[in-house]
Order: sequence, then structure tokens, then C-alpha cells
Amino acid sequence: MTSPSPSARKGLSKIACNRLQKELVEWQVNPPAGFKHKVTDNLQRWVIEVNGAPGTLYANETYQLQVDFPEHYPMEAPQVIFLPPAPLHPHIYSNGHICLDILYDSWSPAMTVSSICISILSMLSSSTVKQRPADNDRYVKNCRNGRSPKETRWWFHDDKV
Amino acid sequence: MGNKLGRRRQLVDEKYTKPQGLYQHKDVDHKKLRKLILDSKLAPCYPGDDECGASELEECPICFLYYPSLNRSRCCLKGICTECFLQMKTPNSTRPTQCPFCKTSNYAVEYRGSKTKEEKGLEQIEEQRVIEAKIRMRQQELIDEEQRNLKCRDVSSSNSTVGAIETAAPSYNLVMEGSAVEGDEIVASQESCTVPVTRSVRPRQNSSREDEFDLDLEDIMVMEAIWLSIQENGRRRNPVYVEPAPEEQYVAEEQCSSASMAPAAGSSSSPSGGLACAIAALAERQQMGDETSSSYQASMSAYNMMPGCSDRDTVHFPAMGSSVEMSPDMQLPNATGDREWIDDNRSEIADVGTSYASSDDVAQTSIHHEDESGNFQPMGGPIVPESFEEQMMLAMAVSLAEARARASPPGAAWN
Repeated sequence: MTSPSPSARKGLSKIACNRLQKELVEWQVNPPAGFKHKVTDNLQRWVIEVNGAPGTLYANETYQLQVDFPEHYPMEAPQVIFLPPAPLHPHIYSNGHICLDILYDSWSPAMTVSSICISILSMLSSSTVKQRPADNDRYVKNCRNGRSPKETRWWFHDDKV
Repeated sequence: MGNKLGRRRQLVDEKYTKPQGLYQHKDVDHKKLRKLILDSKLAPCYPGDDECGASELEECPICFLYYPSLNRSRCCLKGICTECFLQMKTPNSTRPTQCPFCKTSNYAVEYRGSKTKEEKGLEQIEEQRVIEAKIRMRQQELIDEEQRNLKCRDVSSSNSTVGAIETAAPSYNLVMEGSAVEGDEIVASQESCTVPVTRSVRPRQNSSREDEFDLDLEDIMVMEAIWLSIQENGRRRNPVYVEPAPEEQYVAEEQCSSASMAPAAGSSSSPSGGLACAIAALAERQQMGDETSSSYQASMSAYNMMPGCSDRDTVHFPAMGSSVEMSPDMQLPNATGDREWIDDNRSEIADVGTSYASSDDVAQTSIHHEDESGNFQPMGGPIVPESFEEQMMLAMAVSLAEARARASPPGAAWN
């Protein structure tokens, strides 16, 4: 999980760098509730602590998100995965990959790390059952060569959770 | 070719008719781009500034750089700089481009030059609504939290100290909430006149409250003890809790065309409304004491002016006189007679009021009393707040008032 993802191999473009610096400043002033950015000197990879929202299945649980930014962020979506152990959730695979449309097809450059975090927490919070996706084992096996979730062709069929 | 008379053609420096190199643009028709910029169909490619600076610049929500003017999407009027816009068109895709902001297909922009004042005002109102929604969300969270804590407290009811510790934080949060809602109230009254709101006011208020309500455990326990004794007396005399939220408030809000604000203001008053009355009245009684003991009603209406007091100076909004006239229309039908008094005492009262209660709560109280005016019946008997947080805050106010009462003899009778 520590190997750089294919999309993050190249350094950030000037515009990506500038935007991320500003996003980080904004985050420090006004962090999304329930999240904590772990300070590093690496602007291209953020590790973010997620606290399950109180009153949900994930209350009092803490997970870690890893966000890798591509050279052409924000025109290209960042790669977002859960570091192990990933939360048990019908849309989160045991390798940390997240089936969430805004991370792939529905990404828009108007979104930010902060808005991604809120979407992920909302996805967690609306879950009614703690279980892996039905095709977890097959999918994880297919990803064994270190494939990025951004290369997966996702099917987004469930708009409830 | 030749220039047609009357055609709007902006004087744009030639160097701003091509991309400044923000992105490595592919497939950009430079000739077409130049024409669109010269025809004012697209914003000129000014180099983006890193910081807003003193001048009126707009931030592009994609590259986060600042520009003198942006293009607007036709669907949702969101701004975008020309260079980011050029990136939106995916050249190889057969699908129509979606608006990056609202996902409407067939994304298109138009350019109308710099934003007018009205547009900026509207945008700020929109921002305020987002903030309000966040506040409401937070309030709901707090209520949930409170309920959970109350459950915990029931479980360990044999040990009241534990309860005090557990609820200390929500109580503090409730106060912060109050200050934020106070800001909303300011918007509500300004909205009718479409004047932009200065957001800088709020953080200052927040921080001052933070200091004041930074209590330690011992204080909380003492307060709880005081409260319990008061509560017992109060229950004996008048067991009914008077809900101080008259209908007039809501009507008034609709009149100033901000019906959507009503839930925010309403919800903010219900958890701590009665408490706010008590605190404000207590503090006020001590502060005014003998000098103005006759004008209880007047002083209550003066509280209503407070939302503006700190703000007006920065916003350059209505001059003092006109704002006093405006407020009665919206909130205080009967208070016009007290203007001079208000002007004279305004700053003093503001000191008292802002530090203890969110002033829109107090504003509601004032109407309540004026409804029953004639026989000034301040609080309708002792108030029995429903939640533990309120009880603690009231206890704090009472102990404070008592401390002051020792120094100066009280004026008007409280009950």
C-alpha cells in the first residue's frame, strides 16, 4: 500500500501545487468535522484520520484515508483509499478501495479534499449494516498487482448508502 | 470586416487574449479564443493572483487564483476563469460537457464583466444560507449529543457530579451557537435592503464568548448547587414553563422576505429562549439598577437593537437613526417612543447583553412582554428551563447577579 500509485508518480503541476497549498490552509482554518489531517511535508499524499460519526455504526471508530494527487489535479481526480484496516461497509473493499462515484466518473474539479471527506463520512454514516461488498474477494484478488482503484471500471448502482 | 457601430468591443490588451500558461492547453483554437475575448464573450486571460489583495478580485473555484472578473456558467452562475473553462471541454469525449458545479449537461458560460454590487450581495446571502444550514446541522448534532448525555446522566443519577462533567461541553457549545445565530439575525434584517454582510464580525464575538464561558469544574458544580436551590423555590411558586416564542416574531420575519430564515431563528430561541430572558433581565436589572428603573420596557427594546450595534460601523449600513426606525417595523411594533433613551444607553446595554445572551433571543422576549404590556410582568414567574445546560447557564447568571446585588441595591422589583 506504500508504493506510489501510477497516477502519483509524476510531481504536481504548478497549478495543482498552488491549489493544494490553498486547500491545506483552508483545511487548517476550517477542517471538516470528524477529520484530522496528519501533518507531513508531502503535499502530494495526504493521510487523513476519519472518526466515525456519533450515533452511527462507526461511532468511536477511527480509520485512515490516503489521498494521492495526480499531476493534473484538480482536472484529474485524486486517488482515495482507506489504509488497512478499512471499515466494514457494503461499498468499501477489504483492500481499502472505495466504490464512490465522485472519486471516479463523477469527479469534478470544483470538488475539494474537504468535500470528498464529507462525502465519504456521509457514505459511512448512512450504512445500516457492517459488511463487505458481495464481490469483495474476487475484486481484491484482481487488484493484487497493486492496481489503482482509478483503473477499475466501477458500477454505481446503489444510491441508498 | 470592420467594426460595426454600437457593437460592444472591450479594450483588452493583446497579451490577455491568449492563455497565460496556467495549463498546457491542447486543442485550443487561439484565433477563436482571441475573438471571443475581444468580443467580451469570455473573460480576458489575466494572470491569476495568488492573493485577493486589497482590490476587488474574484476567486476562481477551480484554480483558486484571483481575477478581476470571471465567466459565469449559464446554469448556475458560478464563476470560472477562462483558462480553467478551456480545460473543462474534454476534446475526445462525445458526451456533452457537464457543468463542474451543478452537473447540468451542455455546460456553457457567459461573460458579463465584473460582478455588480447586487450580484455580490446575492452571493453573500447565498453563502450565509450555507452557513446557516451548517449551524442548523450542528445544532441538531448538539441536541442529539445532549440527549445521549442526558441518558448517561439518568444512568448515573446517584452521582450528580458525573452529570455536571459530562454536560459541561454541550453547554459551552450552546453558547457558541447562540452567537452564530445572532449573526444570522443581522442578515435577516439586512436582507430586505440587499446590503452585503461583513463576515469579519462573527469570529471576534465567538472568541470573546469562548473566554467568558471557559469555566472550570468547580464553578460548574457551584452553579449547579445554586441552580438547584432556585429551581426548588421556583417550582413551589409556579410550576409552568412559559415558552417565550410569540407568533409575531415569525410574521415579522416573513415580512422582510426572509421566510427561510425563520426556522433558524425559531429553532435557536427554543432551546435557550427562556434562559436568555432570565439572564438578560437579571444582568440588566443589576446594570441599570436605580438610574433607569422605571423604563423596563424601554430597556428590553434596546436589546433588540443590539445585533446591529457591533456591526453597523463596519457595514456602513443604515445610519443609526434609520436603523432604529427600521427595526421596529420588523420586530418591535411598539418601541418607537424610546429612541432617545436607546441612543444614550446603547453601548452600555450592549456590553451587558452581548455577553450573556444571543440577542435575537432577547428580541423575542421583548415582544413577548410588550404584548402583555401595561402591567410589566417581566418573566411570568420563575422559569424552569428544560435542559441541564440551560439550568447551568441560569445558575451562572443568578450567581453573577447576586454578586452585583450585594454591591448596589436593586431597582425595579423583579417579580
